[in-house]
Amino acid sequence: MGLAAFHRFQDLAREQNVVFYYTGYFSQAVVTAMGDALRQRLNRSDAANVTRRKLFSVFMEMAQNVVHYSADPLTESDDHELRRGALWVGESDGHFYVVCANPIERDKVARMQDKLEPLRTMTNADIKALYKEKLRADGEAGSKGAGLGFLTVARDACEPIEFDFVDDDTSTLFYLKATI
Amino acid sequence: MQNIHLSATAATPEVDFRFDSHQLSLKGESYPENAQSFYGPLLDAVAGYLATLDHVHIAVDVQLAYFNSSSTRLLMSLFELLNDAAVKGNYVTLNWHYDEDDDTILEFGQEIADDYPSLDFHPLALVA
Repeated sequence: MGLAAFHRFQDLAREQNVVFYYTGYFSQAVVTAMGDALRQRLNRSDAANVTRRKLFSVFMEMAQNVVHYSADPLTESDDHELRRGALWVGESDGHFYVVCANPIERDKVARMQDKLEPLRTMTNADIKALYKEKLRADGEAGSKGAGLGFLTVARDACEPIEFDFVDDDTSTLFYLKATI
Repeated sequence: MQNIHLSATAATPEVDFRFDSHQLSLKGESYPENAQSFYGPLLDAVAGYLATLDHVHIAVDVQLAYFNSSSTRLLMSLFELLNDAAVKGNYVTLNWHYDEDDDTILEFGQEIADDYPSLDFHPLALVA
C-alpha cells in the first residue's frame, strides 16, 4: 500500500470516528494493552461510568474471543495463544460501538448462527434470564470460557447485536458488532 | 495450610487468602488469558482449607471492579465451595463490594446470594 492509500485509510478512519483499529495477531498482552489504551481514552471522554464499563466489557469479550477462537493461530498450545483477527472501536450518533472480525471454520457457522440469532430479538430481561440460566448450566464442550461470551456482549449492548459470516477462499470470516 | 498472596496484575486480581486468620479477599480485575489455570489452583487450595474446618467464622471480601465471562463461572465455583462449608456448620460472611452505580456487579452478587443462601451476604456500595 502506497502512502496515498494509507492517507485515504486514515481519512476514512477519522471520518468514521474510529477510536482505534487493530488487525493482525492477537495475544493476551495485545488485548491488555489495548484495553488500557481504551480506558485512558474513555477517561478523557464524558461517557458515563456505566457506559465505560460496558464498553470495556464488550471490548474484552470480543478481543479474547479472537485470542481463543480465531481459526488462524500462530501457536498450537492453549496458553500464550496468538490468533489473527481485527477489532474496531468507534463512535457514531452518540454511541460507542465495537466490531470484531476473525476467520472461523466453515462447519462452525450453523452452530454460531443458532446461538447468535435469538439474541437479536430477545429483550434485555430475556437476555439476563438466559445469562442466569447458562451461568448455572455446565460449561459447554470445546469452550475455553464459560459459554457466556456472546450473552455478555448482548447483555452489555444497548441495541441488538449484529453479525455476519462472509466466505473467502479457505475459511469464513465472522463479524460481530455491538453498540453500547 | 499455607496462606496465599498474589499481587494484582492488569488482568488478575490481588489474592489475599489468610487461611490462618480465616480471612479471604479478592480485589481488582479479572480477565486472565486462561481463567481455569488462574483459578484452578486457588479453588484447590480453598477446598483443602475448608475440608479441615468445623464451626469456624470465615470472612470473605470480594471487591472486583470487572470480571470477564470466563472468570464468572470460576467465581461461582468458589462461592459454591464456601456455601458447602457453611452448610457443614461453618459461618461464612461474604462482603460484596461494588461501585454504587455498577448494577452488573451488584446483580451478580445477588445471584450468588440467591444460589448460595447459606452465605451471610452483605452488599457494600463503594461511594465514589
